[in-house]
Amino acid sequence: MILSMAWRNIWRNKLRSLIIILSISIGLFAGIAVAALYHGMIKSRVHLVINSEVGHIQLHDTDFKKNYEAKYILQEHDELVKTISQLSQVKTMIPRSITTGMLSSVTGSAGVQINGIHPYLEYTGSSLSKKLVEGRLFDTIKHNEILIGRKLANKFKLKPGSKTVLTFTDSSGTIVSGAFRIAGIYQTENAPMDERNVYVPIWDLNTLLVIGNAFHEIAVILKNDNDVEIVQKILQKKYPQLKVESWQEISPETDLMVNTVNQYTLIIMVIIMMALSFGIINTMLMAVLERTREIGMMLALGTSRIKIFFLILFETIFLTLAGTPIGILIGWLVSNYFNNHGLDFSRMGSEMMNSFGFSTMIYPEFPQDKLPMILLIVITTSVLSSLLPAIKALKLQPVEALSR
Amino acid sequence: MDNTVIDAHNISKIYNQGTFPVYAVNNVHLHLERGEFTALVGPSGSGKTTLLNLIGGLDKPNQGSIIINGQDITKLSANELIDFRLHNIGFVFQSFNLVPVLTARENVEFIMQLQNKKKDEMQTRVMQLFKQIGLEDKMNNRPSQLSGGQQQRVAVARALASKPQFVLADEPTANLDSLSASNLLDIMAKLNAEENMTFIFSTHDQRVIERARRVITLVDGKITNDSAPTKTTMEIQSATLVK
Repeated sequence: MILSMAWRNIWRNKLRSLIIILSISIGLFAGIAVAALYHGMIKSRVHLVINSEVGHIQLHDTDFKKNYEAKYILQEHDELVKTISQLSQVKTMIPRSITTGMLSSVTGSAGVQINGIHPYLEYTGSSLSKKLVEGRLFDTIKHNEILIGRKLANKFKLKPGSKTVLTFTDSSGTIVSGAFRIAGIYQTENAPMDERNVYVPIWDLNTLLVIGNAFHEIAVILKNDNDVEIVQKILQKKYPQLKVESWQEISPETDLMVNTVNQYTLIIMVIIMMALSFGIINTMLMAVLERTREIGMMLALGTSRIKIFFLILFETIFLTLAGTPIGILIGWLVSNYFNNHGLDFSRMGSEMMNSFGFSTMIYPEFPQDKLPMILLIVITTSVLSSLLPAIKALKLQPVEALSR
Repeated sequence: MDNTVIDAHNISKIYNQGTFPVYAVNNVHLHLERGEFTALVGPSGSGKTTLLNLIGGLDKPNQGSIIINGQDITKLSANELIDFRLHNIGFVFQSFNLVPVLTARENVEFIMQLQNKKKDEMQTRVMQLFKQIGLEDKMNNRPSQLSGGQQQRVAVARALASKPQFVLADEPTANLDSLSASNLLDIMAKLNAEENMTFIFSTHDQRVIERARRVITLVDGKITNDSAPTKTTMEIQSATLVK
């Protein structure tokens, strides 16, 4: 009966209860909207990292990444490719030859990472081909073509057809140069990466590096994001002489960003609920004050103080929980709407967004995985908010309360 | 068999107003037996409500002992007193004091639920009580849908629901019209007779005093008269109340 009384009590002053329920709904909606926006931003950033930059997993010779020396090729690469392709979790894999060097043009020079790619595998496995904004992709007949990023092109006023020279050391340590003509210009949402990376056909780069048909890196793209750990373990066990890294290890800043944003979401929810808790406490204190006589009567009749405590606790929980589904529903509807239509932040400055590696078009995603955390925060808030009013009720003496 | 319900010895309740002690109840001795129908009368401020609060375990005396059902309730802690009241004392308040969000039936059941009574037992008792107070058709009404007299009858049923040792009623007819007051008294008298329930009530109401079988008069916290309401005592009561 205490539960039933608690539920009925919150409707004794409908307007007051509705105001607090509405506040909780709006507060929760605001928290969910922020979480959905962050979730969408992070998901798009992670997908960008996986699809345009590193893949889910990368394999290298253990010494390769120390100085990006061309001599550290992946040994027995044919057997390696065969093994990886047989794993059921693998969607595709992209072999790359990689070196660092200098790109020179008539207008200046800059240090770059030179990525030798298999055009077909790269176009189908990564999003490079979708990011082309000027010119064309590689012509399979032509030699010594290069794709450069928009930021680098702007910096040196380069355009398709412009000539550049790449200088780097080959596998024997000799400095070599090659002239490359710009086939196209690409632009991803990560401007710093666009400035740093250039792409050339793997056969042209391998000729200059003198490594035959070998390569330095295999980027593995999986069917499911959640299989990274399993596949990494399988490959590491099978190839202990190689360095098998997950995207979180290759791009720790992205992983840090994911964790930081998760913490921000938690902090924002706690701040919102703390602000709301003052409203809940005020409402419940008023309710206790108005019902002093009634609580005194209940104590006089023999209602234990623990039951009075639970009555106030349940009232507060019901009051808080009544607003929760409304807030979650509105949050879900709004998140889904913008998930389909997107939120355009280009007016805020696309350059600023891109410089942080974010797309200007964000697709907020309802943070389903954070629902248990949100519910826990809501229930904790209501329990904590009930303490002061409940203690006030417990301190009442029947004789004094009845005389009010 | 010992029929004693309340045995209060030498009880006093003192309030300090500044440096002056005020005796709300002054050295009172009270002995009540099962089945009594007793009125506590006296002018305003004579200590009737304080005495009821003391014997009802709602307040503690500064001195003296109150033995109910063989137990000195002045020695019980606040939480023990709550439990003691639940199982031993029924209360009827001046301003009805029903829980407004519960129906009449739920108000009566509430006490029995606190006592962890079985559902069958509760249903039988509720039906019996509502029949006795003549409100079988109003069982599912909320207090706001009942008249003052009907609410007070539900309050009486609630007081009796737990089958207490005695029922304390603080001015039960004060907020009722004559007809409702008369009906309520009829019901209380009937329950007193049928269930041998002990009633002790404070009152200013002459009609209530006339129905009592024992009248205790309090003046300035002291019992000045304790007798059956004979014509002579009725005159004394009237004179005291007028004063």
